Amino acid sequence: MTNTRIFFVGGLMSFRAQFNWLNPWILVPALLVSPVAQILLFAYVGRAAGVGDDQFFLVGNALNYAAIPCMFAMTFAISGERWGQTLGLVLVTPARRLPLFLGRALPVIVTGWCVAVFGLAVGSLLLGVRMGATVWPGLVLAVCVTSLSCTGLGLVMGAACLRVRDGATLGNVVFLLLLVFCGTNVALEDLPSWMAAVGERLPLTHGIEAARQLASGATLGSVSDLLVRELAIGLGYAALGLATLGWMERDSRRRATLERM
Amino acid sequence: MRDRLRQLWLCYRLQLKILLISPFEGFLGIVFPLMFATATLMVYAVNGDEAAMAYAGLGAAVMGVWTSVTVSASTLLNRERFAGTLELLVAAPTPFSMVLMPITTAMATVGLVSVGITLVWNRLVFGVQLQIQNWLLFVLSVLAATVTIAMFGFLLSVVAVRYRTAWALGASLEYPGWLLCGFVVPIALLPVVLHPISYALAPTWAVEAMRIAAAGGNPWNELTVCLALGLGYAAFAAFLGVRLIDSARRNATLALT
Amino acid sequence: MSFNVERGETFGLLGPNGAGKTTTIKMLITLLLPTSGSASVLGLDVVTDVREVRRRIGYVFGGDRGLYDRLSGLDNLRYFAELYGVEPREQRRRIGALLELVGMTGREGERVEGYSRGMRQRLHIARGLLHDPDVVFLDEPSIGIDPVGARELRATIASLKDQGKTVLLTTHYMFEADELSDRIAVIRAGEIVAEGTPAELKRRVAIGRVLEVETYGVPEPVVSALAELSAVRSVAVEERDQFQVLVLQCDADSDVTQEVLARLSGVRVGRVGVREPTLEDAYVQLVTA
Repeated sequence: MTNTRIFFVGGLMSFRAQFNWLNPWILVPALLVSPVAQILLFAYVGRAAGVGDDQFFLVGNALNYAAIPCMFAMTFAISGERWGQTLGLVLVTPARRLPLFLGRALPVIVTGWCVAVFGLAVGSLLLGVRMGATVWPGLVLAVCVTSLSCTGLGLVMGAACLRVRDGATLGNVVFLLLLVFCGTNVALEDLPSWMAAVGERLPLTHGIEAARQLASGATLGSVSDLLVRELAIGLGYAALGLATLGWMERDSRRRATLERM
Repeated sequence: MRDRLRQLWLCYRLQLKILLISPFEGFLGIVFPLMFATATLMVYAVNGDEAAMAYAGLGAAVMGVWTSVTVSASTLLNRERFAGTLELLVAAPTPFSMVLMPITTAMATVGLVSVGITLVWNRLVFGVQLQIQNWLLFVLSVLAATVTIAMFGFLLSVVAVRYRTAWALGASLEYPGWLLCGFVVPIALLPVVLHPISYALAPTWAVEAMRIAAAGGNPWNELTVCLALGLGYAAFAAFLGVRLIDSARRNATLALT
Repeated sequence: MSFNVERGETFGLLGPNGAGKTTTIKMLITLLLPTSGSASVLGLDVVTDVREVRRRIGYVFGGDRGLYDRLSGLDNLRYFAELYGVEPREQRRRIGALLELVGMTGREGERVEGYSRGMRQRLHIARGLLHDPDVVFLDEPSIGIDPVGARELRATIASLKDQGKTVLLTTHYMFEADELSDRIAVIRAGEIVAEGTPAELKRRVAIGRVLEVETYGVPEPVVSALAELSAVRSVAVEERDQFQVLVLQCDADSDVTQEVLARLSGVRVGRVGVREPTLEDAYVQLVTA
């Protein structure tokens, strides 16, 4: 029971305290305007280049942008606490680490999911992409899986932020990697083989692929292996992140790097 | 007049010094638009149309100038306020506009670095050859883009000052600007309702002038419109700036952090 | 509130936090517009002659903000010299002289981010004097500076007066105001409660002397009884670690020591002393009355 409370209440509180995304002055431009603008930018690039179709860019960029809250929220949740000198206070509590950090991840996953679904809905309206009502349930599930796996990556970055001073820059760089390597705007088979190989090992890639097939009318069953791989990659990163956090925590106790700015 | 130019020049130089001291911050300012330019050219590269690549490559080079100004100008006054220097700048006899303009121009100049880097990157990674018929007019057009984006930043810095989370506003202008100014997509492709916005943005005309100069044409009309718009931004910003400072003096909001 | 500062005078503005010292200064240096009333500096109205006022005044506030950390001290000074329209030839001479004045010669090439708090404060003073202003506004300039630095700062401020500058100073340190100011105004909740030379203020508040008695566990009725003595104007009890200090404001020509000690019989008494009132005594009485 205690763990459940730490998971839900603690997660929500830290989310609200740490980065204030609930402030509409940040929420609207950063999480609603920007993803739609990115979708439109690449959809028009695609039209100008005569490559792909609107739906291709719509799905790719909507899911790509879901990675922003997933990665940044985790990074800020940890680096923000270090900045406010509260990280030490949180870590000295006897709370179990797994629900503590996973609790932080839950609101983040929900945000990522909302951002992507909002981007898909508004983007399809603006671009005139018509997707049947039957497509949406599967699409929404694919978005959910993708947000989950991106949060796994966010956990790794959060751990890295115990050492790296500039979490925001790190987050941006990883976002750019996802933009270029994950088939967001260029299908994996059109990428140079080494880039495609990197993309295969990142979260997002399989989620985007599954969402594209679903949007074109594929059944959930036919993309299930893609979604499972996406989920597996995400869990892999999450496990890596938690392990790194645990190691960093012990290491920073030994070397007193926790509160270093 | 000479004193004023001297003041602008020195303020510009010192602000540039401040911006160039932290290569780490500059890193993202250059890498972020560069990676978006890369993603864009990757899309164009799928069909391998060289003319289209050259077209997009030229415009992509200016993306960084737009980014470096919009992202940092919107938080300019809040940063000065946070550093405690805003009051000192206002208390100085030099008109506030003459203090702000060199700052946003310095920001745009940092963006110029990314013009060069993007052009070289396009050549090395995508094999996009830069073919310029008239170098003089081309460079002039790039400078026109820089100066007018700086004036846009000046306007933005004044407009955004009451907006506490201005960084989010600045960042959200980045993509729409790339699209609306026709950096990587011909404006003719955009919906007609957006055309007036595109034509009201000075960089649209500067990029057009760059393309005309590269093709060996006569870009003077575009350059004239571009500079007129830039002057318009500056005049409007100066007007707003005076009102803003008066209101801040009345409501005691200059020092608040 | 209304006050005048003569040319060449050093005028101290004292008052508790929130009394309106900084607001007053900011109106005088044109950063705030008065909602009513008027103010002028050197005969220039602070609302209508803004540009001219700004040219002729300097402003320095305490603390370590208000500088460009990433620039050197020299570049900070050059930046503001330019904003104040100081002639290029004049600039070099002036900056050199000011660095000398604030004792920073040799360190001006380093970036401000590496400066100590005291150095930043001294740089601030130099910045405020760049254009050789006729009037200098100093808003709590010594806040957060170590005692040695504060002493040097006081010497610098005193030298401004020798150069014939008019100085308006706010501070929380009474000895600083006492030492530097020709005249002082004490403000409370936006109103002047007293104005005069430091000596006048001390006299006006407590024309008399102060008797201090250390006691160990003095009962409340005894304190009340002391206050009833005819020559005693007020009694304050200051709690210390192990004992209390009774501070009695007494009439000037009275000697109540024996009377007081008589009433304290049965209470353990430590040191007893009589002293002249300080500005702090006057200040505390003014702002708490």
